[in-house]
Amino acid sequence: MNNCFVLVKELFEEFFALLQARGVVYAPVRVSAQSFSFRKVDSVSEIAFEALRTILPPKKFFYPQQETIITYEGDTIREHEPEIPFQILFGVHPCDLAGFGIMDTIFGAEPADNHYRRRREKSLVIGLSCMPDRHCFCQSMGTECPRGGYDLFVTDIGDEYFFSVGTPAGFELLQSARELVSAATETHRDRYKNFWNTRADSFTNGFSPDNLHSVLDMEWDNEIWTELGQRCLSCGNCTPVCPTCYCFDLVDIASLNGESGERRREWDSCQFSGFASVAGDFNFRPTPVDRLKFWYRHKLHGFDDPYGFKTCVGCGRCTVSCPAGIDDLVDVVKRLQKSRERVSHVTK
Amino acid sequence: MSLSSPLISAKGIIRTIVPMTNDNHLFEFSDSSGALRACKPGQFVELWVPGVGECPISVCSGRVGDTIQLMVRKVGRVTSALFQMSEGDWVGLRGPYGHGFPVDKYKGKNLCLVAGGLGVAPIRSLWQYVIDHREDFGKLILIYGMRHSFDLLFRQEFQLLLRRKDIEVYIAAEDTAGPEIPSLTVQLGRVTDMIDLAPISADFEVALCGPPVMYKYAVERLQKKGIPASNLWLSLERHMKCGIGKCGHCFVGGRFTCKSGPVFSLAELNLLPEVIECNHGGI
Ligand SMILES: Cc1cc2nc3c(=O)[nH]c(=O)nc-3n(C[C@H](O)[C@H](O)[C@H](O)COP(=O)(O)OP(=O)(O)OC[C@H]3O[C@@H](n4cnc5c(N)ncnc54)[C@H](O)[C@@H]3O)c2cc1C
Ligand code: SF4
Ligand code: SF4
Ligand code: FES
Repeated sequence: MNNCFVLVKELFEEFFALLQARGVVYAPVRVSAQSFSFRKVDSVSEIAFEALRTILPPKKFFYPQQETIITYEGDTIREHEPEIPFQILFGVHPCDLAGFGIMDTIFGAEPADNHYRRRREKSLVIGLSCMPDRHCFCQSMGTECPRGGYDLFVTDIGDEYFFSVGTPAGFELLQSARELVSAATETHRDRYKNFWNTRADSFTNGFSPDNLHSVLDMEWDNEIWTELGQRCLSCGNCTPVCPTCYCFDLVDIASLNGESGERRREWDSCQFSGFASVAGDFNFRPTPVDRLKFWYRHKLHGFDDPYGFKTCVGCGRCTVSCPAGIDDLVDVVKRLQKSRERVSHVTK
Repeated sequence: MSLSSPLISAKGIIRTIVPMTNDNHLFEFSDSSGALRACKPGQFVELWVPGVGECPISVCSGRVGDTIQLMVRKVGRVTSALFQMSEGDWVGLRGPYGHGFPVDKYKGKNLCLVAGGLGVAPIRSLWQYVIDHREDFGKLILIYGMRHSFDLLFRQEFQLLLRRKDIEVYIAAEDTAGPEIPSLTVQLGRVTDMIDLAPISADFEVALCGPPVMYKYAVERLQKKGIPASNLWLSLERHMKCGIGKCGHCFVGGRFTCKSGPVFSLAELNLLPEVIECNHGGI
């Protein structure tokens, strides 16, 4: 494989200037002692290279919390096509890249969502390696190594950044930086491999994923759901922070005279009480227990429809943002796995 | 790949409004896109009242040409706003969405259609389709149940259906007190009583649409008659906001009802969690 390059860290400023010349650069920025957020950055010093999970995942760049999708005036209906400046997302970790993969599949499935696609196509994504903390469990979800969703992926190998190329657009960017980068040598490759091996051994959080599917199928009626559901506040914090939660609501905003207006799409949460209610005051998921276990199943068991993937990428955001302290996915999975062990032990 | 938004609607002008009861009107819209000609029985469209919102409504007629008929019950924001509108006003329509009743599978078979309440709207698209292609199908039984005989929809059409020899119609209401309806035979009872009464045998395909409670009891009776789960077809209602497998509101277990459904066979539903419409029967 020849598509590996290195950049001496001292030259990163100059590489950053090349990014800025192409568009608006967004990267993780420290916003409090413990939290980070993807923000527009104007200088390298603003970038928090040490950041793990940002408060909101970078899905917001392709799928904003609120966006106008249709406008109407008189009897003319128009698709809203906003001017989208070219954006460069720097510092996207493997879990979030896997999240992009899932969002791409959902919004790309026919009929494809061009509101999402337009923003996705006007972007360049540069991934960045990271070291897990006690909440990360991408390893259990099989998303710890970047497999796509990026144009370039940067691994920190000490004195240099190691660049893997994901797309022709990424390659073209490196070509424009050919004064700065050089082809990776054997030594660089060894250090690259060492980094990923060390990282793989650094996970302290996780579970054995092999039986996840069957455990969730079998434990649909487990009392754990009742216990967790009774403590859930239905605040919906766990969904906007998730890199793969894509559910939305569509709302109309009319002008005062009623002659014109727009149709807006807004992030919604399956944890809100009315999410699955229909006419006749009938709610298909009336209690927090119903909603919480639906969410867990969707994340960890995944779709029964043809997509066939789980929709958790192991970023740990839901765990750290749950005010009730119940959204500890790893703990819940371990308890579900344990409860089956216990039963099989008893019936031996 | 289409370049325009899949969420954009085409204009539909209200051509006629026929009140069937106070809260149930049959609307006929012109379809400016021509896309709705592809509507099949059991599919649905998203109806948009600008400035108010959208809601899913079943295709109500067996054939859709320049116009499409929708039977709408006034229950909330969008439907109430529609009831304020008049002939000549416009709404947005997009669709058709979902998998409807598998009419190709039904070909050559005996068919029983079971409608409860407003479920008669999608079932109407099916009987009209079958009657249009009558020679393709075997026996045809139609069962329609409602709470009160006042609620009966498509009264005139039922008068004609009752006269036909190629369809057996059973209409039941739990309550029939009130003004007499001389030309229509409405029996006192429920959908389940009509299922017991009708000559339905194990070789029938059965299409059902009604409220969740109806399914539980109706399915039980039909299974008693020996009809296998793979011949029972239920149309599920969920809050379909997008209709195209993106918004997540229609999830049942891990499936998008708007794409995989709304019509499923009981055999499929038995394998899905969260389907409150069936008993997940054992073996
Ligand atoms: C596949 C399908 C086919 C359908 N076909 C037809 C048809 O042919 N004819 C027909 O009349 N209807 C049909 N419906 C039902 C119709 O879509 C609903 O009645 C729809 O909700 C009406 O929209 P509305 O804005 O008027 O009501 P809404 O304002 O949405 O209110 C309806 C009900 O929704 C619930 N609700 C809405 N929002 C919330 C919330 N935020 N929190 C809690 N509860 C809430 C309430 O229980 C309320 O009673 C169909 C539905 C589906 C899924
Ligand atoms: S479910 Fe939780 S841990 Fe998994 S991807 Fe979503 S926010 Fe991250
Ligand atoms: S963040 Fe926690 S309390 Fe809030 S809805 Fe999610 S699980 Fe429930
Ligand atoms: S209605 Fe939006 S996903 Fe099915």
